[in-house]
Amino acid sequence: MNLRYFPVLLFALLLAACGGESAPEFATADVAKTRPLIIASNFPLYFFTREIAGDSAEVIFPAMEGDPVNWKPASEDIARMQSADLVVLNGAGYEAWLGWVSLPDGILLDTSAGIRDRLIPLQEETVHQHGPAGEHSHQGFAFTIWLDPMLAMEQASVIEQAISELVPENQQAHRARLATLQARLAALDEELRIAFAALADQPIIFSHPVYQYLAARYGLNGVSVHWEPGEDPGIKAWIDFQEVLRRHPAKLMIWEGQPGDEVAGQLEQLGIRSIPFHTGSNPPEGSDYFDVMKASVDRLGE
Amino acid sequence: MSGALFLGWRYLVFHQLKTAILVASITLMLFLPAATRVLVNDSAAALTSRADQTPLVVGASGSPLELVLSSLYFHAEQPPELPFASFVELRDTGWAEAIPLNTRFHSRGSPIVGTSLKYFSFRDLDLAQGRLMGMLGECVIGANVAARESVGVGDSLVSSPETVFDIAGVYPLKMTITGVLESNGSADDDAIFVDFKTSWVIQGLGHGHQDLAQPAAAAGVLNRKDGLVTANASVVQYAEITPENVAQFHFHGATGDFPLSSVIVVPPDDKSGALLRGRYQDNNQGMQMIVPSSVLNDLLDTVFTVQNYIILGLAILSLATIAVITLVFLLSQQLRKGEFHTLSRIGASRAYVATLIASEIGFVFIGSLLLATGLTFAVRQYALQILQSFLSL
Repeated sequence: MNLRYFPVLLFALLLAACGGESAPEFATADVAKTRPLIIASNFPLYFFTREIAGDSAEVIFPAMEGDPVNWKPASEDIARMQSADLVVLNGAGYEAWLGWVSLPDGILLDTSAGIRDRLIPLQEETVHQHGPAGEHSHQGFAFTIWLDPMLAMEQASVIEQAISELVPENQQAHRARLATLQARLAALDEELRIAFAALADQPIIFSHPVYQYLAARYGLNGVSVHWEPGEDPGIKAWIDFQEVLRRHPAKLMIWEGQPGDEVAGQLEQLGIRSIPFHTGSNPPEGSDYFDVMKASVDRLGE
Repeated sequence: MSGALFLGWRYLVFHQLKTAILVASITLMLFLPAATRVLVNDSAAALTSRADQTPLVVGASGSPLELVLSSLYFHAEQPPELPFASFVELRDTGWAEAIPLNTRFHSRGSPIVGTSLKYFSFRDLDLAQGRLMGMLGECVIGANVAARESVGVGDSLVSSPETVFDIAGVYPLKMTITGVLESNGSADDDAIFVDFKTSWVIQGLGHGHQDLAQPAAAAGVLNRKDGLVTANASVVQYAEITPENVAQFHFHGATGDFPLSSVIVVPPDDKSGALLRGRYQDNNQGMQMIVPSSVLNDLLDTVFTVQNYIILGLAILSLATIAVITLVFLLSQQLRKGEFHTLSRIGASRAYVATLIASEIGFVFIGSLLLATGLTFAVRQYALQILQSFLSL
């Protein structure tokens, strides 16, 4: 025997000698649950999950301010997720908070893991360097996957499988509800196809780089800027915008939300129509996911 | 009869020093082999118990013993690291639950164990206070750490640099305590548990700093060109992770290449375990999968052999002690000839005198036996405290 292990062994032996009875069951913070608890990381996933689960599970979308992509879960949110049976994730780097929270692996459901080959890499990235590690960047993928109804159908299918594993006795009902949801997504896809077909190859400007999957699905000729609805982009942004227009003479700008009157007016003067097309990542008041999408389709047709 | 016992007892009390030396010698003669055996047997039982509760351990190729002691007791020399991708691959087989461990770092002598939440349920650990860690920079501490450092929920601990002179190395990380575990008398009592990602931050693989795209960091930007931002040394790097700055923490490089010390593998049944072991035997890729109990049994065989040699040595010493004690008693009888003659003249029979001598010997042996038994129980009860007092010398 290697003698260098003797001190360690002695310590381990004596530590072990002091061992008492094993502790009682680990107590988690969860309360008595009658149904599995499922938490979704954005509204479309919450909607899909709720539609598929029906009464099989309690589905929660955590209260959060702003876009879920920027969510910083508080310790109460983290504790709740730790006690959940399933946390439905969009994947594609959408849930940046996964990098700094502690959650059990077994409850995480990455709904885009199976379509990783169809994720769209982000064009823009910031490279920086500090210290001896050299330069590096934080590259990622476009994450608004659900804006392509075909990909959303696949996400829904993954959700159905996970819910059916949790509540296998209701599998038939889950599958039936998935079929209904997928039929509605297929109808939405057709509506979007018709709405965007009218635009043909017309140049479009997106207020934010969040429409990659929409553009890819419907062949949109769009470029993105970084403008926030309700905010004045500033003089430099307007100058850059002129440069964009020179290369890409758009007559239509698609916004994540309603732009401010002043900005919309200035765009009008440039001959550019502003149309809000909500990504639906936040819960809409008094309507559901399809209402949000339908409203956007209707605005495109106006 | 009772008179002989009384006289024997009074004789021992009168000759206190002689009695004390005799009792001490016989006590040691009985105590040392008994304590050695009890200590080794109890320790071995508890040691194998923890090993038996740990079905399989995966680590990089190297010493299996080092791997087991690191994974189970966090105190061994660090085994070679294995990449995080190995853990992911193992987990994704679906054949077993996998629990990552990164035990490389310490805080004031207590091991920092980077792991996942599954570790706590796997070891049946119960919280005495607070909650489990929820985000980077939070930690849950063992009962002994809480007592030794006089800290509790809401306090903080700072990771220690790997070497004293590592002034250019990674920054120590201030970790907030969110929970204290109940004592279960294992190595977990002396450990500080963090998320394995936090251990990577301690290692310098991840860090948090000002957002270089924000105006507040302008003074720290050396150059901006073609999307490349070069920062200077004035960029503020965070030494503590708080809810306010946690989102600024990020990791550099491919996570799959990040290091772990080992992975505890918990297959649902023997068949899955056998399949996994076969997989690692056939295609080990620089890794090994071991059964901790069998590694420890090999080690304990050696320990028991050493123990037997020690007890043999003590037995020989005991024989010598018995010989000396016999000599003492015989010489004592010679010196007390006059006393026995007087007893005989005042009517004491030979049997009475023999009873008197036997009672003296009996009292000494019974006293020694009781003392040795008490000391052996004390060793059994207070082994850790005894060890700690030795270590603190």
